[in-house]
Amino acid sequence: MELGFTSPHLSVKRLFFFRCTSAVGTSSFDTVLWTSSDESMGRLSRRNQNRNTTSVSSSILRQHPLKEVSVYAEARIVQPIDDHEEQRDTFIHSIALLKRNALAAPFELAFGKQKELESSSSGQGDLMAIHYRDEEAIYIQAAHDRVTVIFSTVFREETDRIFGKVFLQEFVDARRLPQIQNAPQVLFTNRDPPLEIRDVPGLRHSDDIGYVTFVLFPRHFANLHVAAGTISHIQLFRDYLHYHIKCSKAYMQSRMRHRVSEFQKVLNRAKTEVASTERKTVTGRTLQTR
Amino acid sequence: MVAPEVYNVSQSPITSHAFNADRTQVAVSLNTNEVQILSRSGLDWTPTETLSEHDKIVTSIDWAPNSNRIVTASQDRNAYVWQQASDPLTGRLVWKPTLVLLRINRAATFVRWSPFEDKFAVASGARAIAICSFDPDNNWWVAKQLKKPIRSTVLSVDWHPNNVLLAAGSADMKARVFSAYIKDVDKRPPPSVWGEKLPFNTVCGEYSSPSGGWVHSVGFSPSGDVLAFASHDSTINVVYPGGPAVYTIRSNSLPYISLTWTSEDAIVAAGHDCQPVLFSGGPSGWQAAGSLDDTTAPKSSVGARGGFTGSSPVGRLNSAAFNTFRNADSRGLGSSHGGGTPLATDTELFTVHQNTITNIRPYDGAPGAVSRVSTSGVDGKLVIWSVNAVSGLGTKLKALRVG
Amino acid sequence: MSNVLRPYLAAVRSTLAAALTLENFPSQVVERHNKPEVEVGGSKEVLLNPLTISRNENERVLIEPSVNSIRVSIKIKQADEIERILCHKFTRFLMQRAESFIVLRRKPIKGYDISFLITNAHTESMLKHKIVDFIIQFMEDVDREISEMKLSLNARARTVAESYLTAFSA
Repeated sequence: MELGFTSPHLSVKRLFFFRCTSAVGTSSFDTVLWTSSDESMGRLSRRNQNRNTTSVSSSILRQHPLKEVSVYAEARIVQPIDDHEEQRDTFIHSIALLKRNALAAPFELAFGKQKELESSSSGQGDLMAIHYRDEEAIYIQAAHDRVTVIFSTVFREETDRIFGKVFLQEFVDARRLPQIQNAPQVLFTNRDPPLEIRDVPGLRHSDDIGYVTFVLFPRHFANLHVAAGTISHIQLFRDYLHYHIKCSKAYMQSRMRHRVSEFQKVLNRAKTEVASTERKTVTGRTLQTR
Repeated sequence: MVAPEVYNVSQSPITSHAFNADRTQVAVSLNTNEVQILSRSGLDWTPTETLSEHDKIVTSIDWAPNSNRIVTASQDRNAYVWQQASDPLTGRLVWKPTLVLLRINRAATFVRWSPFEDKFAVASGARAIAICSFDPDNNWWVAKQLKKPIRSTVLSVDWHPNNVLLAAGSADMKARVFSAYIKDVDKRPPPSVWGEKLPFNTVCGEYSSPSGGWVHSVGFSPSGDVLAFASHDSTINVVYPGGPAVYTIRSNSLPYISLTWTSEDAIVAAGHDCQPVLFSGGPSGWQAAGSLDDTTAPKSSVGARGGFTGSSPVGRLNSAAFNTFRNADSRGLGSSHGGGTPLATDTELFTVHQNTITNIRPYDGAPGAVSRVSTSGVDGKLVIWSVNAVSGLGTKLKALRVG
Repeated sequence: MSNVLRPYLAAVRSTLAAALTLENFPSQVVERHNKPEVEVGGSKEVLLNPLTISRNENERVLIEPSVNSIRVSIKIKQADEIERILCHKFTRFLMQRAESFIVLRRKPIKGYDISFLITNAHTESMLKHKIVDFIIQFMEDVDREISEMKLSLNARARTVAESYLTAFSA
């Protein structure tokens, strides 16, 4: 079971891309387009006149109306790349984390809002929506003592839905364990959206949509370091869940294949000598008896 | 107790078998469209000739002992009469076929020569029985059909000793006695318990077993005055038309599909239980008398061949181990589950025949005093049994049995 | 095998042994044809009464015998949603491989999860009591397999949830 989520796996891929392009002095390509599994796209291009400039754009950025993205104040600005190794690496790294950081903005806003509201012990922040995938979204809302993050996710097959339910039920129940007392509270519903987002327009009501709510408490974003960790971790949730659903399906498949071959052996024991002798034609094909 | 003679003729089922008069040859159908003539050579049977004319599975064969003619019937709706003649080229005797136009439009299922060997009856899925007789003017076999009141496939027929009456068992769950009197071939038969004036297609009697069930096999007693039939409800029914009484012998075993009279008061039947069973009785009643097969030990073990009641435990375990490895090699079987039961009992039945017996016929002895019978079955074995070697039915306690 | 299961399987075993008394029977309807009568259903007199053996409402076996073929249909226990989807996947998986399973039917009979069709050709090339053994073992193993898959799914879910959530506390 893969439990790696120390950094968004996509960033590693992009890091590689960037290293390639900057390492090669004279290269023949002009533009690199990339797509990733969450259907976002991006483009990296080099202008020929000035080989030292690279521009980066991404559909992620285009989609959410972000007020501020702290890291990318100069996101769309052409940044000259000089040959200084260290600086370049840092910059490449931050470009690679483009998606993660773009998505982080609303979270940071919400954390900030919660701190604001804390003193007044009441009130609620705005409901922010990130439509990071075609039919799925993340909703974030701050309150005076918590930040609520709601994932809406689509289960394309009934098997996925039922497996997902089993997994999510465990998420809900896991808090009873002493070592997980401090984790965020998890809730989920299957068809009807949770209270907080009930009024959002355009929500689909159907059996294949599931809603998972994470309730983050102040300790989860107490300082910058912990907050950043929480954000990265939460962002992974949807892919993590679906990855494990797929793994379970594959595991079931291999179990069934094994069981079927066991049945085959039992059935073969029933055959008499004649039936178990294979007959082959001259060209090597085997004759099958029904 | 005399041990049965067991011949492993083939790996595929034997659909039908018929011996010649002196039992030196046997004609078999091995679930194919061909008939094989096997000749006795020492302790074995070797194929000497193949008769191929049919193009679908040969369902039934009968060998007339006196005229030495073979008749074969097949699912291709045809019957052939085979006669031996000198081959012009080699001078050897070969079997030459003559097609018989049965005029049935479904499969032929069963065929038997009449006692005088001038007629034969072919049962068919066309809900009819073709009675064939030879027309010397045109030099061919002519068929006349018994139809009413048969409502389903006829599964088996048997001739009365008077060459005129025919018993038939059918899938419409009835056993019937017909008159198959053919003008110019048969002389008017003397009156019998079945009736007097009997033109062609007269139904002299119609019987069924109490719970119903397809009638797999019929047989007249040696005198012809009694009829027995085996039904799918696991019964043997014995009819005394003069009686009038019908005795039904119920058994706990699986249904019988073939029977033969060995004397006026004994019948041997065999079927899905894979062993021939003797029934005896008379006008006052009938009951099962015992099995011709000794079923206390697996037959593959060294010491337990036919009739040996207490097989040596060592011998049995030895061959069980041998079987395990043999099976593992040939069929890819793993080690058997559990140490208690040896593998021999797992894949092998305790009876000689390892699968359903489909045919039982008299082998030795005059019609009223048959001493040996032959059986053939789905397991490809041909076995000759002594009728007098009867074991009790059901479980037996043996002092030497190893648990 | 639990004590409740034993009489159920014993009943199925003895019924199958009695029903597997098959023989070659050419079609009465079409000349030169030989078809499983239980599938064709044309000639009523060669079909025997179907028999249902039920353990309870949700687990039963239907045996439809005839002169040359029998159909055995099984309804597998599916107590909840997960068992239902696992059973459905498993039987679909098996039925896709019906060709190599020879006695398996490609589609189950209505109202049942999986069906077998055994003809006289099978009883000629296979030992009857071993065919019965196979069906009984199949019934036991399918139940066991579904239980095990469900258990493993629950165990995996627990581990997945725990690992994800402990990272928050770290």
